[in-house]
Amino acid sequence: MTQLTKGAQAALLAAIVGALCLLLEGVAPWLVQFPKAWVLPATDWVGAGVEWFLLLIKPAARAFSALLFYPMEAASAALNQTPWPLLIAAATALGWMLGGLRMALMALVGLGFVLASGYWSEGMNTLALVAVSVPLALLIGGGIGILANEYPRIRGPVQATLDVMQTVPTFAYLTPLLVLFGFGPVVGLIASAIYAAPPMARNVLLGLQRVEPEIKEAAVMSGGTRLQQLFQCEIPSAGRQIMVGVNQCLMAALSMVIIAAVIGGFDDIGWEVLLTMRKAQFGQSLLAGLVIVIFAILIDRMSGTLTEDRRQRHDPRVAWGILGLGVLASVLFWGSLGSAEDYTLFNPVADRVDAGLSAFTTANAAALTALKNNVMFYVLLPLRIGLDQAVLPFTWGFAWTPAMSAALFAAGAALGLLCAWRGHLALGLMLLIAAGMLETGISQLPWPFVLAGAGALAWVAAGRGLALLTVVLLTTILVSGLWERALLSLYLSGAAVFACTLLGGGIGLASALSPTVWRVVRPVCDMLQTIPLFVFLIPVLMVFQIGEFSAFLAIIAYAIVPMIRYTRHGLTETPAEMIEAATASGATRWQMLRDVRAPYAAPSILLGLNQTILYAFAMLVIAALIGTTGLGQSIYLALGKADVGLGISAGAAMAILALIADRIVQGFAEDRRRALGL
Amino acid sequence: MPVSGSDTPAITCRNVWQVFGKNADSALKQALSQHDTPQAAADDLRARGLVPAVQDASFEVQEGELFVIMGLSGSGKSTLIRCISHLLHATGGEIRIDGENIVEASPKRLIELRRKKLGMVFQHFGLFPHMTVAENVAYPLRVQGMKKSQRMAKAQEVIDLVGLGGRERHYPRELSGGQRQRVGIARSLVADCSVWFLDEPFSALDPLIRRQLQDEFLEIQAKLKTTIVFITHDINEALKLADRIAIMRDGKIVQIGTPADIVLRPADDYVREFSRDVAKGQHARVASVMQTGDGLAHGPDDPGLRQDMTLDAALARCMELYEPVPVRAPDGQLVGVVNPADLAAALQVEQP
Repeated sequence: MTQLTKGAQAALLAAIVGALCLLLEGVAPWLVQFPKAWVLPATDWVGAGVEWFLLLIKPAARAFSALLFYPMEAASAALNQTPWPLLIAAATALGWMLGGLRMALMALVGLGFVLASGYWSEGMNTLALVAVSVPLALLIGGGIGILANEYPRIRGPVQATLDVMQTVPTFAYLTPLLVLFGFGPVVGLIASAIYAAPPMARNVLLGLQRVEPEIKEAAVMSGGTRLQQLFQCEIPSAGRQIMVGVNQCLMAALSMVIIAAVIGGFDDIGWEVLLTMRKAQFGQSLLAGLVIVIFAILIDRMSGTLTEDRRQRHDPRVAWGILGLGVLASVLFWGSLGSAEDYTLFNPVADRVDAGLSAFTTANAAALTALKNNVMFYVLLPLRIGLDQAVLPFTWGFAWTPAMSAALFAAGAALGLLCAWRGHLALGLMLLIAAGMLETGISQLPWPFVLAGAGALAWVAAGRGLALLTVVLLTTILVSGLWERALLSLYLSGAAVFACTLLGGGIGLASALSPTVWRVVRPVCDMLQTIPLFVFLIPVLMVFQIGEFSAFLAIIAYAIVPMIRYTRHGLTETPAEMIEAATASGATRWQMLRDVRAPYAAPSILLGLNQTILYAFAMLVIAALIGTTGLGQSIYLALGKADVGLGISAGAAMAILALIADRIVQGFAEDRRRALGL
Repeated sequence: MPVSGSDTPAITCRNVWQVFGKNADSALKQALSQHDTPQAAADDLRARGLVPAVQDASFEVQEGELFVIMGLSGSGKSTLIRCISHLLHATGGEIRIDGENIVEASPKRLIELRRKKLGMVFQHFGLFPHMTVAENVAYPLRVQGMKKSQRMAKAQEVIDLVGLGGRERHYPRELSGGQRQRVGIARSLVADCSVWFLDEPFSALDPLIRRQLQDEFLEIQAKLKTTIVFITHDINEALKLADRIAIMRDGKIVQIGTPADIVLRPADDYVREFSRDVAKGQHARVASVMQTGDGLAHGPDDPGLRQDMTLDAALARCMELYEPVPVRAPDGQLVGVVNPADLAAALQVEQP
């Protein structure tokens, strides 16, 4: 017994608990279904508590929001009243200064498209929100980063808070803010400032800590005061990392401003996407979605140039020339150019997309439905409610019988025994557990098994502390009555993460092996990572309508990118000397991949998996808009009813799941890194 | 007020300790009160999971002296120089610069000291990447609030001194390693420091550049006559530059002496190991093996030995001789006698 590995011990524990639950189901049904009577009305308590607190600070908040109203109005007026030729010229000139001809053309073409799409004023409203929220976020984030650098004592708590803020789903921010600030664009503004501040804080702190110690010492020995050291030496030296923070801050702010459109009340581009989606005008919503994508790409690439190592200088005279041209065009042709609203060049295209789409979906209805149903019936449903309930004459063509269950378990046990006999006891036990989970379905797993299993996994990954934390946090979800919804969320994101791992791992592997593949995959990845979450919903909705399958696809499309990137990165970054050593030993390409590259890439791939999980959770909440069950839906409903208790509890439950997954995977990655001596 | 005068050493270190770890201050006090020897105290601290990086270091550096601290990596030499320059607050002991105890100096006084008195050069240069050569060099003047035209003029002088004229507008990333360290040297000199700390300034450079910079450094030193604390891990560099050398091992100073002392009279096997690879003949002088006193007889041959000749040079002049030969001062006065056999023997084994 003492000879068992850590993994085998953990698997054994989980298997025993699971088996006991299954066996005792008849005698003690409370083992499988957590009894309603044991649930504490935690949601209500949280609601009451938070609401009391919110009411307390509401006057201050309202004053703050009134204060913010002015810069917002000013920005909005400035962007809307300025003649559009001048704005386009200004953006082009800025593009020139930042990145030369390429950026200038990008700005010109991009904003030209925005103008032609007919969404100019909506776009400007969105930009106005970003323009106010970003400086706010930069100030807050920069301040937090600097303070955390100056006072090591608060560094730990600050970093923990930033971690939590990153895992709390975006929608969950909105409900309390709604109560605090009332309906209106200010909520979107503040939510986006809160959402965009952490990446800034993180990067400022990271940048300051990474400044070479000798540079800091040189500043000290030069006789600078602390403020002189900080502002004249350390912050400029950390400039690149801080610019990465600015870039991430901008993107986060844009993303959140668009998500906040679900609150409504502001005529911005996100609202336009929602509206057209609801009316099933997919051509128009695609157009509006493209406007968002263009903003995202422009903001990302332009601010991205600031993070480059050696920036070229571009002649400012050209920028002035472009600006002058804009002024000239505004003045000379003002009468004949017309206002931005008159440009709707793409409306016919949008209509044609709509018509084409209807034709396509009607023509391929059978194939699309078959695809959707096959994935639902053979993959998603069994995962969700287990083979015993998913296998019906209607879906699989036959009914599931106890004999089949027995056969499944027997097969699992046989395979497990085979593995155990060959020395992989942990793997064998896990096969047995997998068989059990497949039979039961993730959403109906007995709660003692989930607690024991997650705790055991955490113990293997990072020791007793994390195991305890995992069990305690999961128990909070259990007694707060959100358990079933949490399991539903776990099932959908789990399925999506699993699909991402297979698919993304495969694509990453292909990209690592063939530069040609990577040349195709890379821009797609860049694109997918730039697009705000929201826009992913449009294409899946167009083809597959509302439902769990569409959500599943949207999550995969968003969460697959890190898996691809990290897999490729890990596999290609093997040190040259190792490759040479393997080559000199006579390894074939395949042996090299299996014996040298893959083990070396393991920590990197695990980090990719970690990112994929966090991305999946983030998208899960957004996907609630197009019909998922689970915590995401609760958060969305809470937003509609301004139910703070439900919103915060569900958001916290979501954050807990993400946090646990994050820590467990990080634990494994750390373990691998240590094993490799990295 | 600091006591100043020609007889006050420029730097005095007395029982300096630097301990890293939790509650290092109280742990050190406790360990020192419980144990008689520094070694026992250090062992006690180590057993409690603390790291005594510098243990009971004591020495004096005279004004204008070039004092080299030598040791391998991890011997505590970089920590020690950071204690003296107060980049680290020494855990215990007393460090006086021109008589003023800087361990107890206020932050304000420290800034003032650094602006007026101390200069430091770093192993990896520590240049500010966002500033040009001229801005880097002028930075110590900028923090003092000197006007731009004035500080740039001052910076120009030092830039010319280190031979970087014409590169004022370059950024550090555009310079070679040797040039970068010249910038570092210029920056440390711009405020007319009287105590100059150099932390392995030439270790990151390739051997040819290193030798060139060492020679230029000696020239600058001859011109400025500042007090210098110089850190290195290279025994040859230490012997070449130093007036006196302190050798450190595991946080302790194991020997302090002139280059000839270190080579000819190593205090223990550790130091002996260091000097083994050194061509002793190039570093030890005739004076170290010469017999002095009245009535010393010498043979008829006078190969023209002087007391400041290296052993190699002296030996080359008396290869054929077996009888003692005279050693004279530059003015021809007899100062001692040396037996050629002793010259040869000194190259083989150390003197007791």
